Amino acid sequence: MKSAIRLVLLAVALLPAAVLAGANRDRGQDEVGPGPDEGPSYFGVVLDAAGKPVEDARVTATSRDGLAMTTRSNAAGAYHLPGFNKRINADEVKISCAKPGYRQMRVVRRPAPTGRPVRAVETECRLQKS
Amino acid sequence: MPVAKVLAALALGAGACATWAEGLVLRYGQALSAHKSIYSLPVALAEREGLFRREGIDFRVVIPIPGGTDRMIQALHDDTADVTHVATPFLVRAALAGSDAVAIAAEFNDPVYSLVARPEIARIADLKGRTVGMADPGGSIAFSMRKLLALHGLRESDVRTKTIDGTPARLSCLRGGGCDAVPLGQPQDVLAQAEGYRLLGISNEAVPEYLYTVTAARRSWASANSDLVVRYVRALAASFGMIRDPARRPAVVAAIVDITAVAPGIAERVLDLYAQPGRKALPLSGEIDPKGVAQVIAFMADAGQIQPPLPAAERFVDLSYLVRAGVR
Repeated sequence: MKSAIRLVLLAVALLPAAVLAGANRDRGQDEVGPGPDEGPSYFGVVLDAAGKPVEDARVTATSRDGLAMTTRSNAAGAYHLPGFNKRINADEVKISCAKPGYRQMRVVRRPAPTGRPVRAVETECRLQKS
Repeated sequence: MPVAKVLAALALGAGACATWAEGLVLRYGQALSAHKSIYSLPVALAEREGLFRREGIDFRVVIPIPGGTDRMIQALHDDTADVTHVATPFLVRAALAGSDAVAIAAEFNDPVYSLVARPEIARIADLKGRTVGMADPGGSIAFSMRKLLALHGLRESDVRTKTIDGTPARLSCLRGGGCDAVPLGQPQDVLAQAEGYRLLGISNEAVPEYLYTVTAARRSWASANSDLVVRYVRALAASFGMIRDPARRPAVVAAIVDITAVAPGIAERVLDLYAQPGRKALPLSGEIDPKGVAQVIAFMADAGQIQPPLPAAERFVDLSYLVRAGVR
C-alpha cells in the first residue's frame, strides 16, 4: 500500500508544469503561467493514524510571511501545491492539514535528494480522529 | 485575591495584548494568476507598505488550488477565505445562483488591453480578413475587443478569430506568425511594442466604464465582521492614494517589479498606463460605480450568459462599508 501511494505521489510530482498550470487555469481573467521565478512545489499525502489515506482534507502551505496556498487531498490522500516565488525559502514553508472531526498529529518532511536542486518538497501529514 | 487568580488575570491580559498587537486576522482569497499579475497591485502594495497593519489587520493572502477567478466565491462559502478578489462577472454569476456574496470595494475598473498587430498593419480596419487571437469568448477581454473592432467599423465576422487563453500565449501566437493581431495585457503589450509590433487601439477606447475586479464578501460574514471590513476598505483606499501619489512612485514601481517580475523601466510604463489622469482604469479609492456593474451585466447578456429581465446592479453591491470607511 505504502509503495503504491508513493508511486502515485511521484507521478503527481513529475507531472509536466504545463499540465499543472492547466489545472490552475483562470477562466475569465487573464492568466499568468508558472514563471521562471517559481520555487519548488509541494506534494505528499494525508494519512490517518492507521496509515490509511484521508480524502478531502484541507492541506495548506504557509510561507513565513503568511502567504498561504491551500488545496484538498484526493481519494488517495494525495495533494499537490505549486511553488511560491523563489525568494521564499522552501525550508521555511509550513505544511499543515485539517479535516473536520480530525486533529493534526504530525507532519513529516521527506528528505530531498542531495546534490540536486530541489524541484518538489514531499511531506506526509498525519491526522487522528478527535 | 489569591495569587493564582492574579496570575491568571495577568496571563489573560497578556494574551489579549498579543492578539491586539498581531491584529485581527483577515483571510483574503486570491487566484494564483491574479497573485502574479498587475491586478494584485492595490492589495500587494497595501500589504508591503503596512497599510493593513496600520488598520490593525493581520492580513493573510490565501490562494486556493486548483484556483481560478471562477472559484473564488466558492472559497468564501467553504471557509477558505473571509473576503476575496474576484472578476465581477463571476460574482454576478454566483449571486444569481444563490450566493449571498457582494462587492464591497472595487479593485480594478477597466483593465487596459492593447490590440497589438504585426508591424505592417497600420489600423484596425486593416484587420479585415486577417487572424485575430482572441481570449475566452465569454470573458471581459473578448467583450471589449469586439466593441473596439465595432468602433472601427469591423464586425467579429469580418476577421478570423481563434481563441487563445492567456496573454503570454497570445503574444507567442503573434510572434510565431499564427496571429496578425492579439489583445495583450501588461507587461506583454509594452514588451511587444518594444519589439516593433504596432499598437492599434486599447480596450478603454471602446469600454470606458467597467468594473473588472472587486473585493467580495458574503453579506452574512461582512455584517458580522463589519468593523474589520471597514478597516480593510480604508487600507485599500489608502493604497489607491499611494498608487497615484508621485512621491510614492518608487515604492509602487518596486511593487510592480516584484509582482510581475519585469524590469523597472517596463514597470514604470505599466504604472503610467494605469495611473494616467483621466483614465479610469483604477478607482480613486475603491469606490464602486454602479454603471460599471451595469456594463458587466450588459456584456454578460450580450454573450447569452444571462437572460432578460436583467438584474439591477445594486443587487451585487454593498456600498455601506465604503461609506463607513469615508470613501465617496
